[in-house]
Amino acid sequence: MSVRFLMLIAALTMILTAANALEAQKTAWGDPDLQGTWTSDDCINTPMQRPANAGEKLYLTEEELAQREAAIARQTENDKQEFVAANARPNVNPPGHWGERARRPCRQTSLVVDPPNGRIPDLTPEAQTRIIPRGAGNNNAQPASWEDFSFYIRCITRGVAGSILPVIYGNGTQIMQGPGYVLLLQEMVHEARVIPLDGRPHAGANVRSYMGDSRGHWEGTTLVIETTNFLAGKTGIGLNGGGTPTSDALKLTERFTRINANTINYELTIDDPKTYTRPWKVGFPITQEPGYQNFEYACHEGNNAMFNSLSGARTAEKIADTK
Amino acid sequence: MSNRLIIFILAVALLVISIYGQTPAPRAANIPRMADGKPNLTGLWQALGTAYWDIRDHSAQPGPYYQLGATGAIPAGQGIVDGGEIPYRPEASAKQKENFKNRLTLDPEVKCYMPGVPRGTYMPFPFQIIQSQRDIAVAYEYATANRVINMGKPKEAAVDTWMGTSNGHWEGDTLVVDVTGLNGQSWFDRSGNFMSENVHIIERYTLADADHLNYEATIDDKTVFTRPWKISLPLYRRKEKNAQLNEFKCVEFAEELIYGHLRKK
Repeated sequence: MSVRFLMLIAALTMILTAANALEAQKTAWGDPDLQGTWTSDDCINTPMQRPANAGEKLYLTEEELAQREAAIARQTENDKQEFVAANARPNVNPPGHWGERARRPCRQTSLVVDPPNGRIPDLTPEAQTRIIPRGAGNNNAQPASWEDFSFYIRCITRGVAGSILPVIYGNGTQIMQGPGYVLLLQEMVHEARVIPLDGRPHAGANVRSYMGDSRGHWEGTTLVIETTNFLAGKTGIGLNGGGTPTSDALKLTERFTRINANTINYELTIDDPKTYTRPWKVGFPITQEPGYQNFEYACHEGNNAMFNSLSGARTAEKIADTK
Repeated sequence: MSNRLIIFILAVALLVISIYGQTPAPRAANIPRMADGKPNLTGLWQALGTAYWDIRDHSAQPGPYYQLGATGAIPAGQGIVDGGEIPYRPEASAKQKENFKNRLTLDPEVKCYMPGVPRGTYMPFPFQIIQSQRDIAVAYEYATANRVINMGKPKEAAVDTWMGTSNGHWEGDTLVVDVTGLNGQSWFDRSGNFMSENVHIIERYTLADADHLNYEATIDDKTVFTRPWKISLPLYRRKEKNAQLNEFKCVEFAEELIYGHLRKK
């Protein structure tokens, strides 16, 4: 047998194996298979907006990447030591290693990928007047009521964007698929987004919700989800649903594209002409990691922080009154 | 023919009958199935009836707030408890009565807490089952509660939770779900019927036809009950053309009740 013939057989085998791998990523009913638990952890430290002096540079240089990689390695070593040492010095705050960490550096310089400068577009004049709850960061010293806190701190929701943007923990999105449906399960505030794929029209315009009304379809192997029917003036397009609350005109388009066995490219287009002067996009990879899974997040059921914040504020007022 | 031969033939006949008699009931023909032949439970399901008020037989009665008039009254209903009675231990029976008396402050549903199992199944809200090739997810409209039924190698509950740890398997056309790791803070209904963290629940979901899903749950909790007991009810597929799981994020409907006394005067 000639070497050439052997090489041909080897090449054919490789092609067939690759084709099989692609075939394996289909469900029994023929949809692309995106199932698994995916986390946005790798982009935890990537800023939402790019520093102005970085211009249109979306990706880090090889040198910058190497620095990030070294920083992650140092952090891992530090976490290992903290894990042992933490019990030795009790603190009111949980140790840093309780949070989730990037496993590899995110290549991007910002989560905003469009406009090309990586900055959130200007707000409309009306949107600039919208009120953001003062205690959005859970740091309101004297809340008059629970309404001074964000919808996240109140354990209501973080919105569609806030439920997948990387934060300190709970960055998992479990994707499950059944015939005609995709389900997205998100740990923090236990979101469950049921996405019909049968092309049915959106719910009537008067059925509005925090997480909106989602419809999905496939473009090649990309899952595209369009969501409308949002409540006005609730969460924003920021970490944990922070930022300027969006309007009732908000339309979100999400694209989930699997680029290899353990990575999906996630891209979210924000189109809200009552809030932003132009549509914009955030995007980042989400990855499957060994052992990573969602747990039950009984946020409201265990929201002692809300009770303590409010009762603390009332007690402080009482003390001030008696002085 | 000798008597012996007749007896032998009869014995063989009996054996044949008994073997055939033991074969599982023929597979229901008119139910949706997955590619692998398993029943496909995917869909939007909801219970009818008033078990959410009281899983036992109950008469029509006024609700806790007269201001709501007839809209706040409690309709009569046939119970879903097999045999009618919940076999409470004496002290547990007293606690149930106490729960009922204080239901406006103690019922976890009033506070928008997760419903637990089996309560989520027969609340006056639909729930969506999404069945994958392996695991099966249940998303309840009430409080956006949800759970994933693991159909792979059974997993032990890592911690106690509101919705528990669910391990499922198929027995013929019936989905059997073993629920452990429940935190014992859930009630069964709005009448104070309760369980403890020692509860172990086995659910059975069987499609009667394309649009009816028979539900059973066996409740075993030696701390609260003298013996295991069972509830059973049919679930109905929501058939409206535009039926879908809506959002009922009820936290904000309960905040004034829970934190109102801490609002700045």
